Amino acid sequence: MSQQAQRKESIQDTTIVDTDVHLSVPAKEVAKYTDEPYRSHMANTGYAPLPSSGWDRNLAGKIEHYTVQSPEDVQQRLCEEFQIDYPILNATSKLPRLPQSDLAVNLMSAYNDLLIDQYLDEYNHFYGLASLATQKPDKAAEELDRLGDEDQIVGAYIATTGPNPPLGDPEYDILYQAAQDNDIHIAYHGSGGAFMFEFPRQNQSFEKFIEVHTMAHTWSQMMTLSSLLVHGVPEKFPDLNFTFLEAGIGWIPMMMFRLNKEYSIRRSEAPLLKKSPEEYIREFYFASQPIGEANDPTHMKQLIDMVGVDALTFASDYPHWDFDHPDALEQYLSTFDEEGRQKVMYKNASDAFALEL
Amino acid sequence: MTDHIVASVDELEEGGRIITQLNGREICVFNIDGEYYAYNNWCAHQAGPVCEGNITGTTEASFDPESLEVSLEYCHEGEILNCPWHGWEYEVKSGKCLSRQKVQLPSYPVRIEEEEIIVTL
Repeated sequence: MSQQAQRKESIQDTTIVDTDVHLSVPAKEVAKYTDEPYRSHMANTGYAPLPSSGWDRNLAGKIEHYTVQSPEDVQQRLCEEFQIDYPILNATSKLPRLPQSDLAVNLMSAYNDLLIDQYLDEYNHFYGLASLATQKPDKAAEELDRLGDEDQIVGAYIATTGPNPPLGDPEYDILYQAAQDNDIHIAYHGSGGAFMFEFPRQNQSFEKFIEVHTMAHTWSQMMTLSSLLVHGVPEKFPDLNFTFLEAGIGWIPMMMFRLNKEYSIRRSEAPLLKKSPEEYIREFYFASQPIGEANDPTHMKQLIDMVGVDALTFASDYPHWDFDHPDALEQYLSTFDEEGRQKVMYKNASDAFALEL
Repeated sequence: MTDHIVASVDELEEGGRIITQLNGREICVFNIDGEYYAYNNWCAHQAGPVCEGNITGTTEASFDPESLEVSLEYCHEGEILNCPWHGWEYEVKSGKCLSRQKVQLPSYPVRIEEEEIIVTL
């Protein structure tokens, strides 16, 4: 066991659910689960078969490139090294960016079959998020119906950087209805990869990835959250839980208070809402990663207090280069009681995705 | 304070490093240009295995207010230790963090006696 695995007892003794664990699935591997002509496309193209951002994420050799390509990788490098008891795995974030909607639909079931076959069937304490292609909401709904009986599929992963129109639009209602019918809860996830193409034109003039990555996830999630509330999605689907991954938590109080103000003035533009935006947002779940790094740690504690221990879940984002170790969040939880700590480390995630721990 | 023999000098070539367990801690000794440095293998950020990271250079910039031009320089090649987890940069000769002024890797005295590398802990 490495020194890094020998953590303080509070981490070792705590049950931890990790809501955001990314697999790195090679194109040739997912090709096995697709039909022709997509199988040949995925297996043989000389180009990257899925959209790629082109950024140098390894900082020209300054950062190690980690990948997770087997269930043993997840078990050893994440569960044992970081003391994660229940990782919630996702297989791809790129489907909503594919211009070829027929390919996206075919890959949707391919990634989900691969996730179940190669990962969830191997370890009972692994859970998974089904990847959805948002281009064809009716096909995504069919996929959720197909996966409804899979006990270890606990949520649907929807990439928020790319879908057009924004994800509160009524064209997605069929998708949300199927998710609610099948007790598969929603997890939204932004990305730096699509940000340069999908958002306003000024994005395209960012010259450094640090600019893109600071903005991309948060902006995507803010747009999604605004769209959900204004279209009344939480009122339409009251049994559905919504989790927001990988945008940190600093943006949440701002959205609560700004939407409260806007709603007071322009309630008639969001007539499905029955209470203040803040009250809906407090029923959503938000993953901690990337945890902010304030110069004054008391500011982070205040921020966690504002978001609330009923809403916060732990996420590592492993194996990506900006992942968080559980310690990064845990150090800020000392001011909360044991119940609050347990909510953040596993109970909220268990509630959000109806896990059977 | 106790002396610990880590290795003989011919076991640690220039540019190399040795990670060893001393008193329950992972201590890494680097040989940079014939000088020896010892640090905890414990990053100040999220406690990653900092001493296992790549040693590279870094980029610095200067701004000339006369010409309004920024000059980039890739410098300190072989002198910057990057934590493999998140890329926090440290000067391998001083343990100083490049992005946080008050952050420094804990270091230990290293000396050579009779061709042996000795760390005092």
